[in-house]
Parts: sequence; C-alpha cells; structure tokens
Amino acid sequence: MNVRSALFLAFLAVGTALLPIWGTPYLIGIAFNLMMWIALVQSWSMLSATTGYVSLGHVVFVGIGAYAFVPTHDILPLPLGLAVSAIAAAFFAFFVGLPVLRVPGPYFVILTFGLSELVRNIVMRIESGLGSFGRMIFDAPDPGVLLWWMLVLAVFATVIAQLIRGARFGRGLAAIREDEVAAETVGVAVSRLKLYAWIASAAIPGAVGALSLLRVSYFEPGQAFDPVISFTIVTMALVGGTQDARGPILGAAAFVLLSELLWSSLPQLYMIVLGVALIVFILFLPGGLIGLADRKRRSG
Amino acid sequence: MDILFSGQLLFAALVSGSLYALVALGLNLVYGTLRLLNIAHGELVMIGAYTAFWMLTLFAVPPVLSIPVAALVCAALGWLLYVGLFRRLLKRPELAARIEANSLILFYGISVILQNATALFFTSSARGYSYLGEVVTMGDVSMTGNRLLSLGVAVTLTIGMLLFLRFHIFGWSLSAVIERREAARVVGVNVDQVQVITICVGFAIAGMAGVLVSMTEQITPFMGFPFTITAFVVIIVGGLGNIPSGILAGFALGLIETYGVALTSAGYRSILIYGLFVAVLLIRPEGLFAKAVKS
Repeated sequence: MNVRSALFLAFLAVGTALLPIWGTPYLIGIAFNLMMWIALVQSWSMLSATTGYVSLGHVVFVGIGAYAFVPTHDILPLPLGLAVSAIAAAFFAFFVGLPVLRVPGPYFVILTFGLSELVRNIVMRIESGLGSFGRMIFDAPDPGVLLWWMLVLAVFATVIAQLIRGARFGRGLAAIREDEVAAETVGVAVSRLKLYAWIASAAIPGAVGALSLLRVSYFEPGQAFDPVISFTIVTMALVGGTQDARGPILGAAAFVLLSELLWSSLPQLYMIVLGVALIVFILFLPGGLIGLADRKRRSG
Repeated sequence: MDILFSGQLLFAALVSGSLYALVALGLNLVYGTLRLLNIAHGELVMIGAYTAFWMLTLFAVPPVLSIPVAALVCAALGWLLYVGLFRRLLKRPELAARIEANSLILFYGISVILQNATALFFTSSARGYSYLGEVVTMGDVSMTGNRLLSLGVAVTLTIGMLLFLRFHIFGWSLSAVIERREAARVVGVNVDQVQVITICVGFAIAGMAGVLVSMTEQITPFMGFPFTITAFVVIIVGGLGNIPSGILAGFALGLIETYGVALTSAGYRSILIYGLFVAVLLIRPEGLFAKAVKS
C-alpha cells in the first residue's frame, strides 16, 4: 500500500467521522454497517489471510463480545465496556487456541465452524434454561456516537492488519502459510505466532459485537452467533483480496453496497450474487478486486 | 427407563442411522476421490426432496418411484459441475492445490445459490405430503409404513454400494483412487473417468436420500444444512475417505443421537452433534475408528 492509498483512506475516515453532523439516519446506518464489516474482515485477515488458516467461525468472537457487554453496560463507561468485550473474546481465543490451532488444513476450517456452532447451541440452551430468549439493552447511545466508535474499531483493525503484514511477526506468519514444517525447522516459533495472530484477530470482533448489540438494543443468541456472519467475512475477504489492507475495505464496500441495492427487495437474489461472486473469485480471480486493480495498473 | 430398552427406540435409531449413513456415503465418495469438501451436500438432499414433492403433486407419481428420478436429477447436476468447473481446474496442479484448500468455501457458494434459487422459484414456505402414513405393528414395535420403507431403501442402497465397491472392477478403481491417487493413475486407472462417475454417484445418493426424507418430514429450501452437518460429523468420526467406517459411524450417530435425546431432552440434540464433531476433530482429526487415508 503506497502513500497515496493511505491518504485516500485517511480522507475516507475523516468523511465518515463527519457523517453524524450532516448525514441522514439512513446514511449513518449504512456507514455503521460498512465500518462493522471492515473491522471484522481486517481482524479476520490477521490470522487467516497471513497464515492460510481460514477461520469459518469468527462470529463466535462477536457473540462472546456481545454477551460480555450485557453485564458491564450499566456499570462501566462505553470505552471500558468495549475493552471488556474485546478482552473476553481474546481470552476465549487464548483458551481454545492451542488445541484448535494444532489442527491442520481443511480440518481447521470445519473445526472453527463447528466450534462456533457448538458455542451458539450451548448459549441458546442456557438462555432457554433461564427462561429468557434474548437480551435487551436500554439507554443505547445515539447512532452517531455508535458510528464514531465503530469507525475507531475499523481504523484500528486496518492499521494493525497493515502493520502486521510489514513486521517481522507478519513474515513469520507468511512463512507458516508457505510451508509450516519448513518454517518450524528454520526456527520460526510456529505455535506461538499462530496463537498471537489468533488472539489478535479475535479481540476487535469482540468489541464489534458489543457495538452491534447497542445498535439493535435487542438480540437473541441465534443472531449474535449467526454463522452467515462468518461466511460473509470470508466472502468479503476473498472478493476484496487480502495481499494488503485495502482489499478487505473494497470487499466490504462492494457487499454493503450490493446489500443496500438488493437485500430489502430481493434478498434471495442478493444471496445468489454472493454465491456467484464467491465461485468466480476463488476459481478465476484469486487476487480479489485489489489484485485485479493492481494488474490493470501494471499492464496499463 | 423402560423406554430405553424398547424396540421402539431402537427402530427410531436405525431409521435415522441408516439415513445418516446413506447421506454421508455420498459425501465421503466425493471427498475420497476428488478431495473436495462438499458443503452443498445437504442441498442435494433438498433437491431430491423437492423432486419427490413435485413428481407427486404434478404427475401423481408415488415417491418410491421418484427415487430414480431424484438420482438422475442430482447426478446431472454433479456432471454439470464437474464438466463445467472442476475438470479443468483439477487437471492443473497449481490450481488444484488452491481448489482443495478452498473447496469448502467454493461449495458454500454453490450451496447458497441452490438454496436461494429454490426459494426464489418455489417460495421458502414449508411443504409436505402424506404417504404410507398408516401404522404397522410388529411384536411390540409400532412403525409407520414410510419409516419402514425409508429404512429398507437406505439399507439396501448402502449395502448395494458396498458390494459394488468390493466386487465390481469400477469399485476397485474407485477405491484405488481414494487410497493412492497417483499410483492408481500409474497402473492405468482412468482417474478423470472415475472422478466424473463418482461425483454423479455421490450426488445421486444424496438425492435419493432426499426422497426418503420427504416421505416423513416437511421440506423447505433451507432444510439441507443440518444434513450437511450430520454428514460431516459422520465422515469425520469414520475418517475422511474411509467408506465402510463412514457407514458404521452413520449408524453409530443415529444410536447416540436417539438414545442421547431420550436420556436428556430434544434441546440437547445440536449440542451433542457439535460437541462430538469438535471433540473428534481435536482428538483425532483422521477419524475415530479408522486408519488414516493417505493423500
């Protein structure tokens, strides 16, 4: 990513920050969604794009963050509450990390999916055992304030994801993607690097869960742990491309736009376009939109 | 506690176990030979179920006669996908490596398309029909005719498939491709032909299982996903690509699920399935009672 793209992104971030002053509620809502997906996809890319360990269960961190936020909401100021949610998600990642990250290849993909579904079902069981079906939040802040916080998370995730790629840490992760056994042989601390990346990729989704909860005020475990969120993250990453931090932004923007155009009128058509995009990009455009743009620039 | 020792519960366990074994068999064949994790497998069950529904509603064809029709429909879909997408890509090694890694997400795309196209054309409301609903009593076990038929057909298809793999020359080439793909090519197995036939057969089996499901349950465009999950649990417990242990695991899951739910409550079904799934992957990703399949 060069200076010009970085400046352009900074300009976009400032524009988003000013939106609550002049924007309509509708625009603020779209911007909130866009920032949410950017934060999620960038976080996901910290482990999954760098090492090739594709997580198909990232929604579990969102759900855990949302639940961790419920008891703190009345006691703690918002920033602290968000931090608690992020720490709760990171702690869960740490807790399951060592055994989960030992599992290789396609097994890791289905394991992360199975794990998030297991947690979802356990939470649903506990909720119905308690006789409650969901959670309600009162006195949520103004949508503009929520957008500011989501913007902070999106910027934070983007900067961290980009820094990781350039750092020694990121080169170790890339070595794991190329050949894990060889990386270990030449002295890369494979298990530790994977665990750190996994924890890093879990924290921000936890805070995203807390903010999304404030946005909707009421949620059920089925929504908070909805597996479609995990799949959408992966789809956006593949369509946008993951070589650098611009890809996830492009991918998220493309689908937020598409969903605005189609979701309310033709939800099924939106899902069909999502499916076709996945197939086309995996098979024919593995670099994603960002790879396509770079190739054009080089040849043109 | 009496219920635990009744033939009634055993019958229920066998009906669902035979169905799981059958659905998982198709998934396992496709994974074993093509190394593609078909997460759209449950959608083939759904297509089979819709085939039976429309054949009965439009042409008054009894569901049992729709079994071959559903098999043909799903086989045709498998053929289209193989010829249209996978053949070219599996042939080029640098693409094949990436496809195997991404096959699960690729098939998620296919699954989303199949679900939503069905919802678009046939609406997403649940449909059903009644067929052979009368109760048959044998000894102290009462069962509906459709469940009995479902058990019979599923067991027959599974045994037939096993015998075919064991005794027919094509079955041998298929097993050879599953165990040692490159070696099979060297000794003259036409790997491409084996792959196209396997994907058709694997899809057809899921379609036929779908007809059986539609005889006893309501159908919707989104009914397939739970079948995908149970099929994955089964083939992971049995070992990816290991056909006979997969069948054993299917029946085992039917027993565990039925008795587990009888001992606790229906609310624990999903926790049980996913708990098993996660535990097996963590402890022994190559399968609980299986020799690892060499790739």
